[in-house]
Amino acid sequence: MKRYLIMEDGSIYEGEGFGADVQTTGEVVFTTGMTGYQEAITDQSYANQILVFTNPLIGNYGVTLDDFESLQPQIKGVICRQVARIPSNWRMQDTLPGFLEKMNIPGLQGIDTRELVRKLRHFGTLRGRIADSITDADSVVKELKRQNPTKGIISQVSTKTLYPNPGTKRNIVVVDFGAKHSILRELAKRDCNTIVVPYSTTAQEILNLHPDGVLLSNGPGNPEEMTAAAEMVAEIEKHLPVFGICMGHQIFALANGASTYKMKFGHRGFNHPVRDIASGQIVFTSQNHGYAVDPASVDKEKLMITHVEINDGTVEGLRHRQYPAFSVQFHPDAAPGPHDADGLFDDFISMVDQRKEARTNA
Amino acid sequence: MKEFYDAMAMKRALTRITYEIVESNKGTQDLVLVGIKTRGVYLARRIADQLQKLENVQVPVGELDVTNYRDDRRPDTAKENLRLGVDINDKRVVLVDDVFFTGRTIRAAMDAIMDQGRPKRVQVAVLVDRGHRELPIRPDFVGKNIPTSMQERVKVNVSETDGQDSVVLIKQGELAQA
Repeated sequence: MKRYLIMEDGSIYEGEGFGADVQTTGEVVFTTGMTGYQEAITDQSYANQILVFTNPLIGNYGVTLDDFESLQPQIKGVICRQVARIPSNWRMQDTLPGFLEKMNIPGLQGIDTRELVRKLRHFGTLRGRIADSITDADSVVKELKRQNPTKGIISQVSTKTLYPNPGTKRNIVVVDFGAKHSILRELAKRDCNTIVVPYSTTAQEILNLHPDGVLLSNGPGNPEEMTAAAEMVAEIEKHLPVFGICMGHQIFALANGASTYKMKFGHRGFNHPVRDIASGQIVFTSQNHGYAVDPASVDKEKLMITHVEINDGTVEGLRHRQYPAFSVQFHPDAAPGPHDADGLFDDFISMVDQRKEARTNA
Repeated sequence: MKEFYDAMAMKRALTRITYEIVESNKGTQDLVLVGIKTRGVYLARRIADQLQKLENVQVPVGELDVTNYRDDRRPDTAKENLRLGVDINDKRVVLVDDVFFTGRTIRAAMDAIMDQGRPKRVQVAVLVDRGHRELPIRPDFVGKNIPTSMQERVKVNVSETDGQDSVVLIKQGELAQA
Protein backbone atom coordinates (compact mmCIF):
# COMPACT_ATOMS: atom_id res chain seq x y z
CA MET A 1 0.00 0.00 0.00
CA LYS A 2 1.14 3.59 -0.54
CA ARG A 3 3.07 5.23 2.24
CA TYR A 4 4.79 8.60 2.47
CA LEU A 5 7.70 10.25 4.21
CA ILE A 6 6.99 13.88 5.00
CA MET A 7 10.12 15.87 5.90
CA GLU A 8 10.29 19.03 7.95
CA ASP A 9 11.62 20.94 4.95
CA GLY A 10 8.33 20.24 3.17
CA SER A 11 9.57 17.52 0.84
CA ILE A 12 7.47 14.41 0.42
CA TYR A 13 8.64 10.98 -0.68
CA GLU A 14 6.07 8.50 -1.95
CA GLY A 15 6.73 4.79 -1.71
CA GLU A 16 5.34 1.46 -0.71
CA GLY A 17 4.75 0.53 2.91
CA PHE A 18 5.86 -2.68 4.63
CA GLY A 19 6.04 -3.79 8.23
CA ALA A 20 3.58 -2.39 10.77
CA ASP A 21 0.66 -0.22 9.78
CA VAL A 22 1.39 2.75 12.04
CA GLN A 23 2.28 6.38 11.52
CA THR A 24 5.35 7.64 13.31
CA THR A 25 7.54 10.69 13.76
CA GLY A 26 11.27 10.70 14.24
CA GLU A 27 14.63 12.18 13.48
CA VAL A 28 15.64 10.95 10.02
CA VAL A 29 19.17 9.54 9.91
CA PHE A 30 21.07 7.26 7.56
CA THR A 31 23.49 4.38 7.93
CA THR A 32 25.95 3.15 5.35
CA GLY A 33 26.45 -0.43 6.52
CA MET A 34 25.69 -3.03 3.89
CA THR A 35 24.58 -5.77 6.28
CA GLY A 36 23.48 -6.05 9.88
CA TYR A 37 20.08 -4.42 9.43
CA GLN A 38 18.52 -6.38 12.28
CA GLU A 39 21.25 -5.29 14.71
CA ALA A 40 20.85 -1.71 13.55
CA ILE A 41 17.06 -1.78 13.83
CA THR A 42 17.19 -3.19 17.36
CA ASP A 43 19.99 -0.84 18.48
CA GLN A 44 18.42 1.44 21.07
CA SER A 45 20.74 4.24 20.02
CA TYR A 46 18.26 4.65 17.13
CA ALA A 47 15.31 5.17 19.45
CA ASN A 48 12.85 7.74 18.09
CA GLN A 49 14.79 7.92 14.84
CA ILE A 50 13.79 6.86 11.36
CA LEU A 51 16.65 4.96 9.77
CA VAL A 52 17.45 5.17 6.08
CA PHE A 53 19.67 2.43 4.70
CA THR A 54 21.98 3.48 1.90
CA ASN A 55 22.35 -0.14 0.84
CA PRO A 56 19.63 -0.50 -1.80
CA LEU A 57 18.43 -3.96 -0.82
CA ILE A 58 17.86 -5.11 2.73
CA GLY A 59 16.01 -7.98 4.33
CA ASN A 60 17.65 -10.51 2.04
CA TYR A 61 18.61 -12.86 4.84
CA GLY A 62 15.62 -12.42 7.11
CA VAL A 63 15.95 -12.04 10.86
CA THR A 64 17.04 -14.39 13.64
CA LEU A 65 16.79 -14.37 17.41
CA ASP A 66 20.61 -14.41 17.74
CA ASP A 67 20.94 -10.95 16.24
CA PHE A 68 18.75 -8.89 18.57
CA GLU A 69 20.50 -5.93 20.17
CA SER A 70 17.47 -5.16 22.32
CA LEU A 71 14.12 -6.87 22.77
CA GLN A 72 11.76 -3.90 22.40
CA PRO A 73 13.32 -1.62 19.80
CA GLN A 74 12.22 2.00 19.86
CA ILE A 75 13.20 2.86 16.33
CA LYS A 76 10.41 4.71 14.57
CA GLY A 77 10.81 3.60 10.98
CA VAL A 78 12.90 1.76 8.43
CA ILE A 79 13.44 3.27 4.99
CA CYS A 80 15.14 1.55 2.09
CA ARG A 81 15.12 1.38 -1.66
CA GLN A 82 13.96 -2.21 -1.71
CA VAL A 83 13.00 -4.88 0.77
CA ALA A 84 13.75 -8.42 -0.36
CA ARG A 85 10.64 -10.14 -1.64
CA ILE A 86 11.96 -13.66 -1.10
CA PRO A 87 14.55 -13.71 1.69
CA SER A 88 16.58 -16.84 2.23
CA ASN A 89 19.15 -17.90 4.83
CA TRP A 90 19.77 -21.00 6.92
CA ARG A 91 19.56 -18.98 10.17
CA MET A 92 16.43 -17.13 9.20
CA GLN A 93 13.53 -17.33 11.63
CA ASP A 94 11.31 -14.56 10.28
CA THR A 95 11.21 -12.13 7.37
CA LEU A 96 12.13 -8.49 7.89
CA PRO A 97 8.61 -7.15 7.16
CA GLY A 98 7.13 -9.83 9.42
CA PHE A 99 9.53 -8.88 12.18
CA LEU A 100 8.81 -5.15 11.83
CA GLU A 101 5.10 -5.82 11.98
CA LYS A 102 5.48 -7.72 15.24
CA MET A 103 7.66 -4.94 16.63
CA ASN A 104 5.16 -2.25 15.58
CA ILE A 105 7.67 -0.50 13.34
CA PRO A 106 6.64 0.88 9.93
CA GLY A 107 8.77 0.51 6.83
CA LEU A 108 8.92 2.43 3.57
CA GLN A 109 10.49 1.22 0.36
CA GLY A 110 10.66 2.38 -3.22
CA ILE A 111 11.76 5.97 -2.58
CA ASP A 112 14.89 7.63 -3.93
CA THR A 113 17.11 6.92 -0.93
CA ARG A 114 20.13 8.41 -2.67
CA GLU A 115 18.43 11.76 -2.97
CA LEU A 116 17.21 11.56 0.60
CA VAL A 117 20.68 10.78 1.95
CA ARG A 118 22.29 13.54 -0.07
CA LYS A 119 19.73 15.95 1.34
CA LEU A 120 20.52 14.80 4.88
CA ARG A 121 24.23 15.22 4.26
CA HIS A 122 23.66 18.68 2.94
CA PHE A 123 21.14 20.00 5.44
CA GLY A 124 21.98 17.83 8.42
CA THR A 125 19.60 15.67 10.39
CA LEU A 126 15.96 16.47 9.63
CA ARG A 127 12.75 15.42 11.32
CA GLY A 128 10.25 13.35 9.38
CA ARG A 129 6.97 11.56 9.60
CA ILE A 130 5.92 8.29 8.03
CA ALA A 131 2.28 8.75 7.09
CA ASP A 132 -0.45 7.03 5.09
CA SER A 133 -1.74 10.16 3.45
CA ILE A 134 -0.48 13.61 2.53
CA THR A 135 -3.71 15.55 2.70
CA ASP A 136 -2.63 17.43 5.81
CA ALA A 137 1.06 17.57 4.88
CA ASP A 138 1.34 21.29 5.61
CA SER A 139 0.22 20.95 9.21
CA VAL A 140 2.49 17.91 9.59
CA VAL A 141 5.47 19.98 8.43
CA LYS A 142 4.62 22.74 10.91
CA GLU A 143 4.28 20.18 13.68
CA LEU A 144 7.61 18.54 12.78
CA LYS A 145 9.45 21.82 13.10
CA ARG A 146 8.31 22.14 16.70
CA GLN A 147 9.16 18.64 17.81
CA ASN A 148 12.25 17.21 19.45
CA PRO A 149 11.89 13.46 18.99
CA THR A 150 14.87 12.40 21.07
CA LYS A 151 14.33 14.59 24.10
CA GLY A 152 14.24 12.56 27.31
CA ILE A 153 14.62 9.37 25.31
CA ILE A 154 17.06 7.59 27.62
CA SER A 155 14.49 7.33 30.41
CA GLN A 156 12.36 5.32 27.98
CA VAL A 157 14.99 2.87 26.81
CA SER A 158 16.99 2.36 29.98
CA THR A 159 16.04 -0.57 32.14
CA LYS A 160 13.63 0.28 34.95
CA THR A 161 15.17 -2.08 37.49
CA LEU A 162 18.57 -3.63 37.83
CA TYR A 163 19.02 -7.11 36.43
CA PRO A 164 21.84 -9.64 36.35
CA ASN A 165 23.69 -11.22 33.48
CA PRO A 166 25.24 -13.92 35.62
CA GLY A 167 28.74 -15.21 35.17
CA THR A 168 31.76 -15.79 37.35
CA LYS A 169 35.10 -14.21 38.09
CA ARG A 170 34.68 -10.45 37.77
CA ASN A 171 31.84 -8.24 38.92
CA ILE A 172 31.02 -5.58 36.38
CA VAL A 173 28.24 -3.01 36.60
CA VAL A 174 26.88 -1.86 33.26
CA VAL A 175 25.06 1.46 33.40
CA ASP A 176 22.23 1.15 30.89
CA PHE A 177 21.57 4.17 28.68
CA GLY A 178 20.05 1.93 25.99
CA ALA A 179 22.67 -0.81 26.02
CA LYS A 180 23.21 -3.11 23.08
CA HIS A 181 23.18 -6.80 23.90
CA SER A 182 26.49 -7.16 22.08
CA ILE A 183 28.19 -5.31 24.94
CA LEU A 184 26.79 -7.84 27.39
CA ARG A 185 27.86 -10.65 25.07
CA GLU A 186 31.44 -9.38 24.95
CA LEU A 187 31.56 -9.22 28.75
CA ALA A 188 30.04 -12.69 29.03
CA LYS A 189 32.72 -14.05 26.67
CA ARG A 190 35.31 -12.73 29.09
CA ASP A 191 33.96 -14.29 32.28
CA CYS A 192 32.10 -11.40 33.85
CA ASN A 193 29.35 -11.45 36.41
CA THR A 194 27.43 -8.49 35.08
CA ILE A 195 24.74 -6.40 36.74
CA VAL A 196 22.88 -3.98 34.48
CA VAL A 197 21.59 -0.90 36.29
CA PRO A 198 19.27 1.97 35.28
CA TYR A 199 20.78 5.19 33.92
CA SER A 200 19.74 7.11 37.03
CA THR A 201 21.72 4.95 39.48
CA THR A 202 23.89 6.99 41.82
CA ALA A 203 27.58 6.46 42.53
CA GLN A 204 26.85 5.24 46.05
CA GLU A 205 24.32 2.70 44.78
CA ILE A 206 26.92 1.35 42.36
CA LEU A 207 29.57 1.20 45.09
CA ASN A 208 27.14 -0.70 47.30
CA LEU A 209 27.16 -3.49 44.72
CA HIS A 210 30.96 -3.78 45.20
CA PRO A 211 31.81 -4.22 41.53
CA ASP A 212 35.33 -4.57 40.11
CA GLY A 213 34.61 -2.26 37.19
CA VAL A 214 31.95 -0.08 35.59
CA LEU A 215 30.96 0.03 31.93
CA LEU A 216 28.93 2.98 30.61
CA SER A 217 26.77 1.80 27.72
CA ASN A 218 25.67 3.33 24.44
CA GLY A 219 22.35 5.10 24.15
CA PRO A 220 20.25 7.57 22.13
CA GLY A 221 19.80 11.29 22.36
CA ASN A 222 21.70 14.29 23.62
CA PRO A 223 24.38 13.51 26.24
CA GLU A 224 23.91 16.92 27.82
CA GLU A 225 20.63 15.66 29.28
CA MET A 226 22.58 13.20 31.41
CA THR A 227 23.82 15.63 34.06
CA ALA A 228 23.12 13.25 36.96
CA ALA A 229 24.95 10.43 35.20
CA ALA A 230 27.92 12.72 34.57
CA GLU A 231 28.08 13.46 38.30
CA MET A 232 27.94 9.77 39.03
CA VAL A 233 30.85 9.10 36.66
CA ALA A 234 32.95 11.91 38.13
CA GLU A 235 32.62 10.21 41.50
CA ILE A 236 32.85 6.56 40.40
CA GLU A 237 36.07 7.05 38.39
CA LYS A 238 37.89 7.85 41.62
CA HIS A 239 37.09 4.40 42.97
CA LEU A 240 36.77 1.96 40.09
CA PRO A 241 38.00 1.30 36.55
CA VAL A 242 35.57 2.78 34.02
CA PHE A 243 35.02 1.99 30.35
CA GLY A 244 32.62 4.14 28.34
CA ILE A 245 31.19 3.29 24.92
CA CYS A 246 29.47 5.75 22.61
CA MET A 247 27.01 7.62 24.88
CA GLY A 248 29.17 6.37 27.77
CA HIS A 249 32.17 8.08 26.17
CA GLN A 250 30.28 11.35 25.86
CA ILE A 251 29.14 11.22 29.48
CA PHE A 252 32.70 10.37 30.55
CA ALA A 253 33.87 13.48 28.69
CA LEU A 254 31.20 15.66 30.27
CA ALA A 255 32.03 14.25 33.72
CA ASN A 256 35.61 15.46 33.25
CA GLY A 257 34.79 18.96 32.13
CA ALA A 258 34.67 18.58 28.36
CA SER A 259 31.67 19.55 26.25
CA THR A 260 29.77 17.88 23.42
CA TYR A 261 28.16 19.21 20.26
CA LYS A 262 25.63 17.98 17.75
CA MET A 263 27.25 16.87 14.51
CA LYS A 264 25.80 17.87 11.16
CA PHE A 265 24.73 14.41 10.13
CA GLY A 266 26.57 12.05 12.46
CA HIS A 267 28.63 8.93 11.85
CA ARG A 268 26.58 5.83 11.18
CA GLY A 269 28.11 2.87 9.47
CA PHE A 270 30.92 0.44 9.92
CA ASN A 271 33.74 1.57 7.74
CA HIS A 272 34.86 4.45 9.90
CA PRO A 273 38.66 4.47 10.09
CA VAL A 274 40.00 5.46 13.47
CA ARG A 275 43.61 6.06 14.38
CA ASP A 276 44.96 5.04 17.77
CA ILE A 277 47.15 8.08 18.35
CA ALA A 278 49.73 6.43 20.60
CA SER A 279 50.64 3.57 18.33
CA GLY A 280 49.54 4.97 14.99
CA GLN A 281 47.46 1.85 14.42
CA ILE A 282 44.37 2.23 12.24
CA VAL A 283 41.24 0.26 13.07
CA PHE A 284 37.99 0.16 11.16
CA THR A 285 35.09 0.76 13.45
CA SER A 286 31.36 0.55 13.76
CA GLN A 287 29.88 3.93 14.64
CA ASN A 288 26.48 5.33 15.47
CA HIS A 289 26.57 8.80 16.93
CA GLY A 290 25.03 12.17 16.23
CA TYR A 291 26.93 14.01 18.94
CA ALA A 292 30.65 14.24 19.58
CA VAL A 293 33.16 15.58 22.08
CA ASP A 294 34.59 18.99 21.31
CA PRO A 295 38.38 18.57 21.28
CA ALA A 296 38.98 22.21 22.22
CA SER A 297 37.05 21.64 25.46
CA VAL A 298 39.15 18.69 26.61
CA ASP A 299 41.15 19.56 29.72
CA LYS A 300 44.63 18.26 28.89
CA GLU A 301 45.48 17.93 32.58
CA LYS A 302 42.67 15.43 33.06
CA LEU A 303 42.14 13.65 29.75
CA MET A 304 44.21 12.39 26.84
CA ILE A 305 42.67 12.15 23.39
CA THR A 306 43.55 8.63 22.36
CA HIS A 307 41.65 8.08 19.11
CA VAL A 308 40.54 10.22 16.19
CA GLU A 309 38.45 9.47 13.12
CA ILE A 310 40.55 9.84 10.02
CA ASN A 311 37.91 11.25 7.65
CA ASP A 312 37.02 14.32 9.67
CA GLY A 313 39.22 14.34 12.79
CA THR A 314 36.36 13.73 15.24
CA VAL A 315 37.45 12.72 18.73
CA GLU A 316 36.85 9.00 19.04
CA GLY A 317 38.62 8.03 22.26
CA LEU A 318 39.62 9.49 25.61
CA ARG A 319 41.61 8.31 28.56
CA HIS A 320 41.93 9.75 32.03
CA ARG A 321 45.42 10.82 33.02
CA GLN A 322 45.08 10.01 36.72
CA TYR A 323 42.45 7.32 37.02
CA PRO A 324 42.07 3.95 35.27
CA ALA A 325 39.24 5.14 33.09
CA PHE A 326 38.85 5.36 29.34
CA SER A 327 36.19 5.60 26.71
CA VAL A 328 35.61 5.26 22.99
CA GLN A 329 33.02 6.90 20.79
CA PHE A 330 32.79 3.93 18.45
CA HIS A 331 31.50 0.41 19.07
CA PRO A 332 34.25 -2.12 19.77
CA ASP A 333 31.49 -4.68 20.19
CA ALA A 334 30.57 -4.16 16.53
CA ALA A 335 27.16 -5.88 15.98
CA PRO A 336 26.97 -4.90 13.25
CA GLY A 337 30.45 -4.16 12.10
CA PRO A 338 34.12 -5.07 11.99
CA HIS A 339 35.82 -6.70 14.97
CA ASP A 340 39.06 -4.70 14.68
CA ALA A 341 38.58 -2.95 18.00
CA ASP A 342 37.54 -6.05 19.93
CA GLY A 343 40.75 -5.80 21.99
CA LEU A 344 39.43 -2.85 23.94
CA PHE A 345 37.28 -5.17 25.99
CA ASP A 346 40.44 -7.16 26.77
CA ASP A 347 42.10 -3.93 27.87
CA PHE A 348 39.18 -3.16 30.17
CA ILE A 349 39.30 -6.65 31.66
CA SER A 350 43.09 -6.37 32.23
CA MET A 351 42.51 -3.07 33.94
CA VAL A 352 39.83 -4.58 36.16
CA ASP A 353 41.96 -7.62 37.00
CA GLN A 354 45.01 -5.56 37.89
CA ARG A 355 43.02 -3.35 40.24
CA LYS A 356 41.29 -6.35 41.73
CA GLU A 357 44.62 -8.06 42.40
CA ALA A 358 46.00 -4.89 43.94
CA ARG A 359 43.03 -4.65 46.28
CA THR A 360 43.26 -8.29 47.38
CA ASN A 361 46.98 -8.05 47.99
CA ALA A 362 46.86 -4.72 49.78
CA MET B 1 57.64 -23.03 19.98
CA LYS B 2 54.46 -21.14 20.78
CA GLU B 3 53.68 -17.57 19.85
CA PHE B 4 52.09 -15.69 22.71
CA TYR B 5 51.95 -12.25 21.15
CA ASP B 6 51.90 -11.27 17.52
CA ALA B 7 52.93 -7.82 16.33
CA MET B 8 49.46 -6.28 16.86
CA ALA B 9 49.12 -7.69 20.37
CA MET B 10 52.58 -6.44 21.28
CA LYS B 11 51.70 -2.98 20.00
CA ARG B 12 48.57 -2.92 22.09
CA ALA B 13 50.41 -4.13 25.18
CA LEU B 14 52.98 -1.36 24.81
CA THR B 15 50.22 1.22 24.36
CA ARG B 16 48.57 -0.01 27.52
CA ILE B 17 51.87 0.22 29.41
CA THR B 18 52.30 3.77 28.10
CA TYR B 19 48.88 4.83 29.41
CA GLU B 20 49.58 3.19 32.77
CA ILE B 21 52.91 5.00 33.12
CA VAL B 22 51.14 8.33 32.61
CA GLU B 23 48.39 7.39 35.04
CA SER B 24 50.77 6.17 37.74
CA ASN B 25 53.00 9.24 37.51
CA LYS B 26 50.08 11.64 37.14
CA GLY B 27 51.58 12.88 33.91
CA THR B 28 55.00 12.99 32.29
CA GLN B 29 56.76 15.54 34.49
CA ASP B 30 60.34 14.47 35.37
CA LEU B 31 59.81 11.16 33.62
CA VAL B 32 62.90 9.31 32.34
CA LEU B 33 62.81 5.94 30.59
CA VAL B 34 65.82 3.67 30.94
CA GLY B 35 65.98 0.67 28.64
CA ILE B 36 67.95 -2.37 29.74
CA LYS B 37 70.37 -4.27 27.52
CA THR B 38 69.41 -4.42 23.92
CA ARG B 39 65.71 -5.07 23.62
CA GLY B 40 64.64 -3.04 26.62
CA VAL B 41 66.15 -0.02 24.90
CA TYR B 42 64.02 -0.48 21.77
CA LEU B 43 60.90 -0.95 23.86
CA ALA B 44 61.74 2.16 25.87
CA ARG B 45 62.17 4.14 22.67
CA ARG B 46 58.78 2.96 21.44
CA ILE B 47 57.14 4.02 24.67
CA ALA B 48 58.82 7.42 24.41
CA ASP B 49 57.55 7.69 20.84
CA GLN B 50 53.99 6.98 21.97
CA LEU B 51 54.28 9.57 24.73
CA GLN B 52 55.43 12.06 22.13
CA LYS B 53 52.33 11.37 20.00
CA LEU B 54 49.92 11.41 22.94
CA GLU B 55 51.24 14.14 25.17
CA ASN B 56 53.53 16.04 22.83
CA VAL B 57 56.47 15.72 25.23
CA GLN B 58 59.98 14.42 24.62
CA VAL B 59 60.73 11.98 27.42
CA PRO B 60 64.48 11.23 27.68
CA VAL B 61 65.50 7.63 27.03
CA GLY B 62 68.63 6.22 28.65
CA GLU B 63 70.37 2.94 27.92
CA LEU B 64 71.72 0.62 30.57
CA ASP B 65 74.18 -2.21 30.21
CA VAL B 66 74.07 -3.96 33.57
CA THR B 67 76.69 -6.65 32.90
CA ASN B 68 79.04 -5.22 35.54
CA TYR B 69 76.38 -5.34 38.21
CA ARG B 70 75.10 -8.84 37.64
CA ASP B 71 75.48 -11.35 40.48
CA ASP B 72 75.66 -14.40 38.28
CA ARG B 73 78.45 -13.49 35.90
CA ARG B 74 81.98 -12.39 36.46
CA PRO B 75 82.33 -8.62 36.09
CA ASP B 76 84.40 -7.51 33.13
CA THR B 77 86.46 -4.65 34.53
CA ALA B 78 87.12 -3.30 31.06
CA LYS B 79 83.43 -2.46 30.57
CA GLU B 80 83.15 0.55 32.84
CA ASN B 81 80.87 2.78 30.87
CA LEU B 82 77.17 2.28 31.50
CA ARG B 83 76.16 4.49 28.60
CA LEU B 84 73.25 5.80 30.59
CA GLY B 85 73.19 9.08 28.75
CA VAL B 86 70.53 10.75 30.90
CA ASP B 87 70.45 12.50 34.25
CA ILE B 88 68.37 10.58 36.77
CA ASN B 89 68.71 12.83 39.81
CA ASP B 90 65.32 13.67 41.27
CA LYS B 91 63.62 12.05 38.28
CA ARG B 92 60.89 9.46 38.00
CA VAL B 93 62.77 6.60 36.40
CA VAL B 94 60.99 3.80 34.61
CA LEU B 95 63.25 0.84 33.89
CA VAL B 96 62.13 -0.97 30.75
CA ASP B 97 63.01 -4.56 29.96
CA ASP B 98 61.54 -7.25 27.75
CA VAL B 99 61.19 -10.20 30.18
CA PHE B 100 61.00 -10.25 33.95
CA PHE B 101 62.23 -13.57 35.33
CA THR B 102 64.28 -13.96 38.53
CA GLY B 103 64.48 -10.23 39.14
CA ARG B 104 68.27 -10.19 39.23
CA THR B 105 68.63 -8.05 36.13
CA ILE B 106 66.36 -5.40 37.62
CA ARG B 107 68.27 -5.50 40.94
CA ALA B 108 71.49 -4.97 38.97
CA ALA B 109 69.81 -2.13 37.04
CA MET B 110 68.69 -0.45 40.25
CA ASP B 111 72.24 -0.64 41.65
CA ALA B 112 73.57 0.84 38.43
CA ILE B 113 71.01 3.66 38.56
CA MET B 114 71.67 4.42 42.22
CA ASP B 115 75.39 4.75 41.47
CA GLN B 116 74.54 7.54 39.05
CA GLY B 117 72.50 9.63 41.44
CA ARG B 118 69.32 9.70 43.47
CA PRO B 119 66.10 9.32 41.50
CA LYS B 120 62.80 10.52 42.97
CA ARG B 121 61.22 7.20 42.17
CA VAL B 122 62.03 3.99 40.26
CA GLN B 123 59.43 1.83 38.53
CA VAL B 124 59.73 -1.21 36.32
CA ALA B 125 57.94 -1.85 33.03
CA VAL B 126 58.23 -5.21 31.29
CA LEU B 127 56.53 -6.71 28.30
CA VAL B 128 56.38 -10.19 29.84
CA ASP B 129 56.48 -11.45 33.42
CA ARG B 130 57.29 -15.16 33.32
CA GLY B 131 57.30 -15.85 37.05
CA HIS B 132 60.00 -17.63 39.14
CA ARG B 133 61.01 -14.63 41.18
CA GLU B 134 64.21 -15.10 43.22
CA LEU B 135 64.30 -11.63 44.81
CA PRO B 136 61.56 -9.52 46.44
CA ILE B 137 61.18 -7.31 43.39
CA ARG B 138 58.06 -7.00 41.25
CA PRO B 139 57.31 -5.08 38.05
CA ASP B 140 54.92 -2.09 38.14
CA PHE B 141 53.75 -2.34 34.53
CA VAL B 142 53.35 -5.67 32.83
CA GLY B 143 52.28 -6.41 29.27
CA LYS B 144 51.39 -10.01 29.95
CA ASN B 145 51.90 -12.62 32.63
CA ILE B 146 53.03 -15.89 31.09
CA PRO B 147 53.35 -18.76 33.55
CA THR B 148 56.36 -20.87 32.54
CA SER B 149 58.35 -23.84 33.71
CA MET B 150 62.08 -23.70 34.28
CA GLN B 151 62.58 -25.78 31.13
CA GLU B 152 61.03 -23.11 28.98
CA ARG B 153 62.42 -19.86 27.66
CA VAL B 154 60.54 -16.71 26.75
CA LYS B 155 61.95 -14.75 23.84
CA VAL B 156 60.78 -11.32 22.84
CA ASN B 157 61.52 -10.44 19.23
CA VAL B 158 61.71 -6.79 18.26
CA SER B 159 61.77 -5.76 14.64
CA GLU B 160 64.82 -3.54 15.17
CA THR B 161 67.10 -6.54 15.83
CA ASP B 162 65.05 -9.66 15.13
CA GLY B 163 63.16 -8.68 12.01
CA GLN B 164 59.70 -9.07 13.56
CA ASP B 165 57.67 -8.24 16.64
CA SER B 166 56.52 -11.21 18.66
CA VAL B 167 56.74 -13.00 21.98
CA VAL B 168 57.44 -16.72 21.79
CA LEU B 169 57.74 -19.54 24.28
CA ILE B 170 60.50 -22.02 23.52
CA LYS B 171 60.74 -25.42 25.18
CA GLN B 172 64.15 -26.76 26.16
CA GLY B 173 65.74 -28.53 23.24
CA GLU B 174 63.71 -26.72 20.62
CA LEU B 175 65.48 -24.43 18.23
CA ALA B 176 64.49 -20.80 18.35
CA GLN B 177 63.39 -19.99 14.81
CA ALA B 178 64.29 -16.53 13.57
